Amino acid sequence: MSRQSTFGSDILGRLTPWLVPVAIIAGWQAAASTGLVSTRFMPAPSDVIAAGWQASRTGELWSNLWISFLRAAVGFLIGGSIGFALGLANGLSQLSEKLTDTTLQMVRNIPHLSLIPLVILWFGIDEEAKLFLVAIGVFFPIYANTLHGIRSVDPQLVEMGRVYGMSPTTLFLRVVLPGALPSIFVGLRYALGIMWLTLIVAETISASSGLGYMAMQAREFMLVDVVVLAIVIYALLGKIADTLTRLLERSFLAWNPAYRNI
Amino acid sequence: MTASTLLRAPDAALVPPREVPVVPQARQATRPAPTTGTGTGTGTGVAVTLRGLSKSFDGHRVIEGLDLHIPAGQFVAIVGRSGCGKSTLLRLILGLEQPSSGRIDLENQGARSATKRIMFQEPRLLPWARVVDNVAVGLGGAGRRQERRERAAGVLSEVGLTDKAGNWPATLSGGQRQRVALARALVSRPGLLALDEPLGALDALTRIDMQDMIERIWRNQGFTAILVTHDVAEAAAMADRILVVEEGRVALDLTVDVPRPRRRGDPELARLEGRILDHLLKDRAPV
Repeated sequence: MSRQSTFGSDILGRLTPWLVPVAIIAGWQAAASTGLVSTRFMPAPSDVIAAGWQASRTGELWSNLWISFLRAAVGFLIGGSIGFALGLANGLSQLSEKLTDTTLQMVRNIPHLSLIPLVILWFGIDEEAKLFLVAIGVFFPIYANTLHGIRSVDPQLVEMGRVYGMSPTTLFLRVVLPGALPSIFVGLRYALGIMWLTLIVAETISASSGLGYMAMQAREFMLVDVVVLAIVIYALLGKIADTLTRLLERSFLAWNPAYRNI
Repeated sequence: MTASTLLRAPDAALVPPREVPVVPQARQATRPAPTTGTGTGTGTGVAVTLRGLSKSFDGHRVIEGLDLHIPAGQFVAIVGRSGCGKSTLLRLILGLEQPSSGRIDLENQGARSATKRIMFQEPRLLPWARVVDNVAVGLGGAGRRQERRERAAGVLSEVGLTDKAGNWPATLSGGQRQRVALARALVSRPGLLALDEPLGALDALTRIDMQDMIERIWRNQGFTAILVTHDVAEAAAMADRILVVEEGRVALDLTVDVPRPRRRGDPELARLEGRILDHLLKDRAPV
């Protein structure tokens, strides 16, 4: 009996986060069906689903989604790996930090989306423009959090590692990197958010394919349902990225009581 | 000046052989010490000799011309007020600091190993490594993973934590963490174990348990132990010899002639504690 009640409360616990979104969609559908909201400005959820079905049947949705995903992934890999490498270098070497940190902190304060006009001049509306913007956007959160993570590694643990005869490589792999990992994951989450944001803006302004482009095209033809469809897909992509990060955190940071129950 | 420059002869030493049955009579503090370097194979601890040792930080002298001999296998406690230089002395012996002048000779002929290990005041366990892997850190890079884990598990049973081998350190109590740190220090079977106030952060009862555990393991293994503490009772309960350090010198060098296992509250120990405390508090302003 008690088993059943924990099972029931478990299901309830899993469903709770979805109560609010479901209620909003239901209210939205009701408002659209009763004519409370004009479907010219806000299509009913059923219309959005129909538009999604239509777009996925023609293959238009999948090809645009795939292109956007590729841009996001490649830009993220480029910007993220440079940021990670510089964060490590500046966290471990004082010379490297003196050489580059001030410059990077100055550049960091430039909103990267303000570079769009310049980027269009440089690259036109080709792939490089989008990749460049995504890479720059992703670079800074990863860089700053990697650096912070390495700086905040407990010096007592580092001393212990030295006293116990760890080589510099072992010390890095067993003490410094694991110690910096929680902070690196914070950077990863920020970077994923910025990745989508940058890509959407870049695709909306200058592109000939991708989700942002699909939404802009739909606007020109007053296809409100497709515009809303694109927005919903952004929300889902963001949720997927966040879930993946959580899974990674849970497996890599299992030792940390703060991450055990997420 | 007389006490501080006293070079101890090894005859006051107590060197526990390794395979001694744990019976009180077998361990008289007065029994003559075997000499080091006999190469018997069982091995003892590392003998430490300091000659004219000095250490300054930014022109401020912390250790002043210290001469000291610690025979192999002796359990020495170093007590003193905060800032008297006792921790610096320990770090010098371990080679974590370089002396400004003077020499440190570690004689490990016949010792079980030349390895020196330290137990810190904090456990300093890697939070991301399981207990058994934390202990294996003490092995350095030697051996294969399986072999390392087996040796670590062996030492964990000595400190009574076999069932915690797969746990994360965050799930242990303070006393258990310090026991893991002790296992990590012991797993490489060191010839010299330095204890830098390792029990300072524990509650009174856990402290007594830990003191007994360290004493028992020391008696079984016969390494040289140097305990830095500001708890005079702890020093008297555990050590063969107590050094009182003041302003970078050895101000008192006392042999503890009380047989083991020692009973807490022993009048002889109490007298010794009183003497040391009187010495430490002698220049305190009258209340």
